[in-house]
Order: sequence, then structure tokens, then C-alpha cells
Amino acid sequence: MRKLTKRSLISISVATVLSLGLSACMEDASPKVTNTAKDNSGLKRAIDGGVTYDVINGKFGVYAVNEKAHNGKIKFGRTPTKEEYDEWSSDVHFTGEGLPEGQGTAEEGSEIYDAKCVMCHGDFGSGGGGYPALSKGNAYEMQKSLTNQRLKPDDDGPVRFFGSYWPKASTLWWYIKDAMPHPQTDSLSDDEVYALVAYTLNINEMEIDGQEVDDEYVLNRENFLKIQMPNKDGFEPQIEGPDAEKHIRAYYANPKNFGGQTYNVKNPASRCMTNCQEPTVKVAYIQNGGISDFHPPLTDVRDLPKEKKDLKNFNAQKAYNESCAMCHETGAAPAPGDKAAWSGLLEKGIDKVYEAGIKGTEAGMPAKGGASMSDSEFKMVVDYIVNQSK
Amino acid sequence: MTYIMKITNNLIKEKIVNIKKSQQDLDSFDTKNSKVDRRDFFAKTAALGVTALAGTSLLASEEGERSILKPTKWGTTWGDPVTKNLYGMPSKYEHNVTRRYTKLLASGNYRASITVTPIQESKGIITPNGLFFSRSHGGVAHIDPNEHRLMLTGLIKKPLVLTMKELMRYPSVTRTHFIECPANGGQEWRGPQYNSLQFAKGFMSCAEWTGVYVKDIIKDLGIDPKAIWMLAEGGDSSKMGRSIPMEKVLDDAMIVWGQNGEALRPEQGYPIRLLVPGWEGNLCVKWLRRLDFSTDPWYCKEETSKYTVLKPTGKAIQHFYANEVNSTVVSPSPEIDWSDLKDGDTVEIEGLAWSGMGTITGVDLSFDGGKNYVEASLKGLVLPKCWTRWSYVHTYKKGQELFLTSRAMDDAGFIQPTIDQEELVVGVEAVYHRNAVETWKVEKDGKVTHVQFRSQLGRKANGELVIEGKA
Repeated sequence: MRKLTKRSLISISVATVLSLGLSACMEDASPKVTNTAKDNSGLKRAIDGGVTYDVINGKFGVYAVNEKAHNGKIKFGRTPTKEEYDEWSSDVHFTGEGLPEGQGTAEEGSEIYDAKCVMCHGDFGSGGGGYPALSKGNAYEMQKSLTNQRLKPDDDGPVRFFGSYWPKASTLWWYIKDAMPHPQTDSLSDDEVYALVAYTLNINEMEIDGQEVDDEYVLNRENFLKIQMPNKDGFEPQIEGPDAEKHIRAYYANPKNFGGQTYNVKNPASRCMTNCQEPTVKVAYIQNGGISDFHPPLTDVRDLPKEKKDLKNFNAQKAYNESCAMCHETGAAPAPGDKAAWSGLLEKGIDKVYEAGIKGTEAGMPAKGGASMSDSEFKMVVDYIVNQSK
Repeated sequence: MTYIMKITNNLIKEKIVNIKKSQQDLDSFDTKNSKVDRRDFFAKTAALGVTALAGTSLLASEEGERSILKPTKWGTTWGDPVTKNLYGMPSKYEHNVTRRYTKLLASGNYRASITVTPIQESKGIITPNGLFFSRSHGGVAHIDPNEHRLMLTGLIKKPLVLTMKELMRYPSVTRTHFIECPANGGQEWRGPQYNSLQFAKGFMSCAEWTGVYVKDIIKDLGIDPKAIWMLAEGGDSSKMGRSIPMEKVLDDAMIVWGQNGEALRPEQGYPIRLLVPGWEGNLCVKWLRRLDFSTDPWYCKEETSKYTVLKPTGKAIQHFYANEVNSTVVSPSPEIDWSDLKDGDTVEIEGLAWSGMGTITGVDLSFDGGKNYVEASLKGLVLPKCWTRWSYVHTYKKGQELFLTSRAMDDAGFIQPTIDQEELVVGVEAVYHRNAVETWKVEKDGKVTHVQFRSQLGRKANGELVIEGKA
């Protein structure tokens, strides 16, 4: 988020559509790819620990490439207006960039919460209805649970909620502002967001600058930026600062960091083919039936779907025109309104007419007139014809 | 007539009665139908005797299947006019091949939720658009393409607004890539939970995508060299955003509007989504409306509260981008098992392999749950960051238990870990990025169940995970 008001002169000029005169000095600012390191297989290493490929002689692997299409000067679109630019630049950075002025208390937040949030997030952020909890108690205590591992049935797991887990408070402010309340997003004022953030800090029993965020605590931009999340140092790799890409690359270059297993690409035959497992392994089966709440239920059967009972949207007149009129309007078959013909056909009752039409007749009528209606739909078309012939 | 032939004929008659009943069912659209099980029919007759007549091998019977001996409804009456279904649909008989959901993976009213792909029914390496797995954070948005705009903002000298028509005039690129939710298999860190391939591995799909490289749009816009991050942000109600390092953006990130030859489906972000080949599906932001450029990542909600891998050290891996090398046996599966196979049948064991870190170089198959492996064959197209089919021909022994485990490797040098190997490092609370080998047990009757081969883990005083009972 970089509101134009805070940006450089050049950007402001661009926003006022002075791009023509400036374009010459912008060419040298083209981005450059820094990943040129190649591994022993000759492939370029990517930032994610994997490999990446170049276009070589007009080919990207098996894909042919028109290199001219990617080297030409092609530009469409226009410069945004300042209003457009600011309207969509709503992101809030951990540095405070994008965070507007405003204020609210936990008490005010509690009222908004009860009106707009509690139905999903539960009393005091306890969760429910499938939506996430916002607190499970004191954030500083809960943060200590993050080393928990449920290795055995009675083990407690880690508690991962806003207070105990999230590294930045800016995430909460931005997310509430842009994406909450869930059914009606982007509807809260900045002051309301400050109040809801204060309430969330309150139910997580958090402090700012050594002071408890109690009901009366007035949260504003200045003290918001002093929030230190209990788990701010809980994440790896390091992703801040100008060397972030270097840190990330180094992290994923070491499979031990993320549990990757490697083999020798140049000598794949050396990979393990026998006794590749710990002798301690046992077969683990699904316990207590596992998860089987599947919708629709699992099956590989090929059959016809159940007919939908809702025939309200079936248009018998339209179906008649599409599938029946070509014979019934041309004299090849009795026309609707031909009372003599239809009274004869109806002598044995309407069900016989239905039956004959569904099966097709010796007189040459194909089954259901050759249409792919259901029986119920076909009967509605017969009714449509017969009702005009009484 | 020999005794065996009598039995054969009686069986055929009995079967014909069943088939006739089925045929009647098929004749009426109003009736729920029973299954015409031809495989079963042939299995029984073939097992009972084959007679050579005039040098041609035929079953000794004067009767046979109704659909062969009698005229069928579809063989004697008109089909639909070509004017029907101007946008075609699958056969009605395929209605069970569908995405599925479970309430356990749903936030409340299915707006922040997922439906998963029936990969047990998948053909080749392309997922049809109607079966492509669907994950959204605020429901499936329906965007008017005439009004939708893409805006480029931030540390860029020439900010830009594009209409969809303008965007689609840039030189297009077509690539086939899988998209995988990194929570694929994420419910099974502590043991198998789903007796289903669709739910165990179906949080992914693969398609041919058409769009434009982001680098082709931004190359002349004057990106500030200090901008080493790009935010991709959606225009749906959740405003889903993720931070992506510029290095990836300038490598192969695309803005796509085409999926398997047609426009993206609404579930895939119509009219446009970001495609970050090989990386977490969550980064492939749907309903894309803005790309922002900055010196630091944004700490978006979905890159802190979720999509992070908590290790036993208490530290969590953030920005865990690539979906690592992975594979599964697709045939047989718990859904489509081997209970109809006869002793001695030659059958193809088939599967999928994929890696977000590169290209699949090989797949091994184990019959004992991952202790010993044989090499399987790759087949069809082998493309970077794409589903790859593999195959192994097997002679089935009725009554034999098998533990089928596949293990893939890629050209980046990674091979799938055992469950023990992976969990010793990242523990059992990771949720995301589980790529350890997976096992189907073929039971004596040919049914297939999901199992895992794993050791009991314990902890040392310093918190490190160890295998209990390891010498």
C-alpha cells in the first residue's frame, strides 16, 4: 500500500497522466532476475528449493515459444486516477504504512462484536459454527503451547489463534477492515475497526507497552504500532528487509529445514530400493471409522440420477413447439384442438394416451415424440394438447 | 448337456432376468435404476466353461446378454436433436463423478470451504473444468468481466489499469500445470482418516492454462529495484491476498483467463486468477484485481494465521512456497477396487506423480508398504510442475494381501520421504505440505483400504522427536 499522497513526485506526475515525457528515464528501472546459480545437474535453482527452466532455442522444455512476442514493446491500459488508486490501495503494512488515524475501546468493540461478529466467532471469541475462534485465553500463556505435539492420544495440541500465533497485529486490522464481517465486508468505519481490534486484544489478555488492554483502553494508531505479538519471533525463514530473497533461498536450499529427502539426480540407481523403512514401523489403520461425512456419498455406480420433483419450471408449450409441432401441426398427427380425433384417442382414458405416447405408437409416433423428456414432463405436454381439445 | 453347462445356462437365465429388470428400469427416467453389471456376468460364465465351435471360441449357450440379443432403446429410437444442450454436458449416467465436500472442512455455511476432485475417476492429466477442486474464502464470486479491472500499484513508476479486453491482448502463453492446496492430505498427519482417494488426495487438479506472464506486463512499467515483493489481491468479498517474491514473479507467474480451452470457471476466479506454477494453490489468487509492489511482504491473513507449518521446535515455516514431490496410486483405489478381479488377471496399476519443484523423473512402486520398491514406468506427457501418469503391469493373485505404496522423485533431486522421515523434522502438527508416501492395502477380497506404515514417535528432554524403540 502506497497512497499517492505519500509517494514520490514521479508517481504523482504519472497519476496525473504525464507519462509521455517520463517514459525515457524509466527504461533502466527494469526488474532483473537474480537467480543465476546452477546446481550440479545444470539446472537453475529457484528460491523455493526446486529448479527452474530457461527458454532455449525457442523452446521452454517441450513448449515452443515465440520469443518475439515476449521481447516486444507491448502496452495496453491506462494510468489510474488518484481516487481509483487510493480506493483499492487499502492494505495495511506492519510498518504502519496504510494504517489510518482513528480510535476505539474494547468496550465499544464489545458492542460491535455482539451485533456483528458473535454469531460466527462465539461468545468472547470462543469460536463455533465452523468459524475460527479468536482467543483461547491468555495469549502469552497460549504461545507456550506451540511446542506441543499430539504424538499420543492424550497429548494436548498447540493453540493457534490470533493472540498465541499471529506474528503481526497489522494483519488483524487490515483483515477486519477489508474482509469482515464475512457476509458484508468492507462495511466498518476505521474507528469501529480500532474498537474491534481493541476487543480482540482484550479477550486475548494482551498488553501494549506494559499496559493491559482493558475495557477503557483507547486504541489509536500511535499505540497500535507499539503492539508486540507474543509469537513475533515464531516464524522462519526471515522474510523482512532487502536480503529477504537471500534468506528464503538459503532456507529452502537445506532440505533438513523442511523435511525434504534427496537422491542423487545424476545416479538415480543409487536410491533406496530395498529395506527403505524403519524396522519399527507398524501398519496404522483408520480409527473409529475415520472421516466419512462425504457429500454426495461416495460411489462409482453408473445409473440415472433421481428425477427432480420440481416440475415448476418445465414449459409444456415450449416443449410441444420444439418436439411435437413438426407432426401435430402438419396433419401427420392429430392437432391440438381436433376434438374428434382426440375424443377417440381418449376413449380408453388418459393413462392409455400417456402410455402410448411414452412408448411410441404403431401409427409412427416415436417414443415421447423423440424428445428426451422425463415421463412426468411428457405427461404435462400431453395434458397441454388434450386441454385444448376438449 | 453337461452339468456345468446346465449351471451356466441357469446362471445366464437368472442374469437375463436381472438384466431385463435393469433394462426396464433404464427405460423409465422416473425410476431409480439398478446397475447392469456386465463384468460380473462374464466373470461367472467364463469361469464355468468355454466351448470351441467351428474353430471360434464361444461360450456354450444359446442365450446371452439382453443388450446384445435384443434391440436397445437407444439403438432403435431418435437421439436428441443437435440443437439440444448447445453447451454440452456429461452423460446422465456419469452423475456420480462429481466434486464432493465434507462438513469437517467447512466454515459454517460453505463460503469459506472446499470441494475436492474425484481423482479416482480422473483420465489422463487434465481435470475437466467442472471437476476442478474449488476453494474459496468468501464464496464463489460472480464477476462481470465488463466491469472488472486489474490495477498495478505500489513501487512502480507507471501504475496501470487494464480492462479484461486489454489484458487479453498481451501475447498469450499456454502451459499445463497442477494446482494443489497445500492442505492436501493435511488431515492425516497422525494417522489415516479417509478411506477415499478423493478426500485423501483430491485437494488438487491439473489443467491447461492460458494467460500472460506477469513479467511481460510489468517489464516496461518501471518497477523499483527495491520492490522485491508483489501482493496479489482478489476482488471477491474476502479480498484474499498473498505476498510473492519478485524472483518467482519474474520467472513463471502468469495471469490466466483460459482453462482447458475455455474461460475460467467462476470457481476458478473468473475472469482472471494468478497462476504461480508449482506453488501453494492459495497463492494462485482468484478473481484477481490488484498487483501491488513493495519492499517487504504484507503479512496477509492467509500467510500468517494459515498456510504455515508449525514444527516441534515451536517455530513455524512461513512462506513455504512449493508443493513438494508427491504421488499416489489412482487405480486401484478405495472407491474403485479390485473385488471384481479374478485370480491370474493381468491388471495395470496406475497413478499420478507431481512436483512443484520441477519435473517428475521417476516413480517406484512397493507391494509391501514402502519397504522394498520396483521401478514403475512414466507414461504420456512428462511436463514441469504438472501431473504425470505412471503405470505398472501386475498379475493379480486372488486372496493375496498387498500394500501398494508409490514414491516419486523429481529433477530438483527430491524423493518422497517416509512418514517417519518427514515427521521427525516437521512433527505431526504441520497441517500443510505433507508429501510422505501413502499406502493402499488390497485386502484378500480385493477391497482397498487406506493405511499408513509409521513408527511411534516420542520426544527427548530437549523436545526433539525420536522413534520409540529404535535400536
